[in-house]
Amino acid sequence: MLEAVDVSVSRQGRQLLDKVSLTVRTGEVCAVLGPNGAGKSTLLHIVSGYAKPDAGLVRMADITVHQGLPKALAAHRAVMEQHPAAPAGWTAADLIRTGLYAHPTSAGESAVGEAVALTCTEDLLPRGLQGLSGGERQRVHLARTLCQLLASRAPERYLLLDEPTAALDFAAADGLMTQLQRIARQYDIGVLVVLHDLNLALRHADTVMLLKAGSSQAFGPAAEVMRKDRLEAIYGVALAELISPDARVRAFVPMSGH
Amino acid sequence: MRPILLLVPLAILLTATAALSLLGVHGFGQLASGAGLPPLEWHLIRELRLPRVLAAAAAGALLSAAGCAVQARFRNPLAEPGLIGINSGAALAAALALALGAGMGTVFMSAFAGGMLALLAIRLLGRAHRDSVRLILAGLAVSTILGSLLTLLISLLPDGALRSVTFWLMGSFAGADWPQALTLALAAPAVWLLLYRRWPLLNALQLGNDAAFHLGFDVKRGEWQVTTLAALAAGFVVAACGMVGFVGLMAPHLTRQLVGGDAKRLLQAAPLTGALLTVLADWLARSVIAPAELPVGVITSLIGAPFFLWLLQQDGKHHA
Repeated sequence: MLEAVDVSVSRQGRQLLDKVSLTVRTGEVCAVLGPNGAGKSTLLHIVSGYAKPDAGLVRMADITVHQGLPKALAAHRAVMEQHPAAPAGWTAADLIRTGLYAHPTSAGESAVGEAVALTCTEDLLPRGLQGLSGGERQRVHLARTLCQLLASRAPERYLLLDEPTAALDFAAADGLMTQLQRIARQYDIGVLVVLHDLNLALRHADTVMLLKAGSSQAFGPAAEVMRKDRLEAIYGVALAELISPDARVRAFVPMSGH
Repeated sequence: MRPILLLVPLAILLTATAALSLLGVHGFGQLASGAGLPPLEWHLIRELRLPRVLAAAAAGALLSAAGCAVQARFRNPLAEPGLIGINSGAALAAALALALGAGMGTVFMSAFAGGMLALLAIRLLGRAHRDSVRLILAGLAVSTILGSLLTLLISLLPDGALRSVTFWLMGSFAGADWPQALTLALAAPAVWLLLYRRWPLLNALQLGNDAAFHLGFDVKRGEWQVTTLAALAAGFVVAACGMVGFVGLMAPHLTRQLVGGDAKRLLQAAPLTGALLTVLADWLARSVIAPAELPVGVITSLIGAPFFLWLLQQDGKHHA
């Protein structure tokens, strides 16, 4: 289990996170939502261990994250950063193989193959990163993180993603989230994903955390947490809740000016 | 392409260039025609040219490897070993030693110590901040202070000392004797090996500090290891040969065009490319206006900069 307990962070006198707690179980997708500046990325940095909280703690399997060695952490979690880099002269294959650095095991080669197959990046492997489209680059970075997790023999594994759909059109974004859900189930990986799109979270997340100005407004099963009145209060905008005729899809649309 | 297919031709090219530089076009012709070389010529080659070519090759290899390291560490293709700011410390210390009439051995050791002291100062100044920009700014500030001290020193020097200081500042392999050449020739593989063993770290750092941490690296420690190794490499070169400009910037770029950006392949080929450039530049410095001699730094910059511009344009076309 991945668990953040009463995490507080302040930087330069500003409270970025105030006693935020959340739990991610392996095999499920947890989405973090909230307006710009709510502290979503900060929360992800704390959970990944890259930044330290001023108070509270994060536990991942049996590791206290902020005392863990980088190598031990890398065996348990992989992170897709918000602005993935594309160094000059690198091919997609070069990037994907960086996922193996944490644990160069014999399982490495098969992990690369599996990650490539899952993300459909076979054709991209020999191509230069800088020549790839935003969507293609995103897939290659996802392959890199999957490669890191699949090569690991840790008993619990987590995938953290910071706005992975930001550069994607809506069909690709939906495809990515579907894929993340499938990966979570198939490999028993816990997924923590920062999102801007409420409707993606509604359709693809098992649990949702709503953040506003650094404090947690609600956390729990997606359908329960994402209520119209609560979302309106958090985003400060009137919403219409639409339900498809067959009642299988629910969506929120902002109604500014109405 | 398999790396070996590139490394072997590079090594052959380097050997050929070194042989040409050792024998000269004239000597080459004499040997080829079976005439043999006079004993005096052999003596010249053994005592003067061989240590010089060896020093040039080792210096090129060191600068090139250091360039690969700092470009990865700062995630900036414009970075070169001098960016860390150690050159100014080395230059000031060397100028001081030269002004006091010290021999080449003492100059070498003072320059090396000066460079390392500058690195230490920069490290202490830049320590409080985690971003690279602060480190570069600290390096710049230290460089400026030391540079103005150097200017002050130069303005006070008598003519004789001024000449040797200026020549040293412009960079030259002319002063390389056997002890210096051997020091460089031993330092080059040692520093290279320490950098090469860290190729995964160098790759990870190119993805950003956060990504490098996420991939399992102790970023702070890793960054300082890389910085220190690059400074060591540059320190050896600047102490032995003065400021040899542009090689640390150009050689990694040239190599990247040949083998791609992966740090493992890059570090395998980069020392050969760097050595090729410096050996060639040193030979040109000696032969362009023979029997007089140009500072090698002039050659590397005068030929290097336009070549570099051409290279960048090729790169631009490639991506367009």
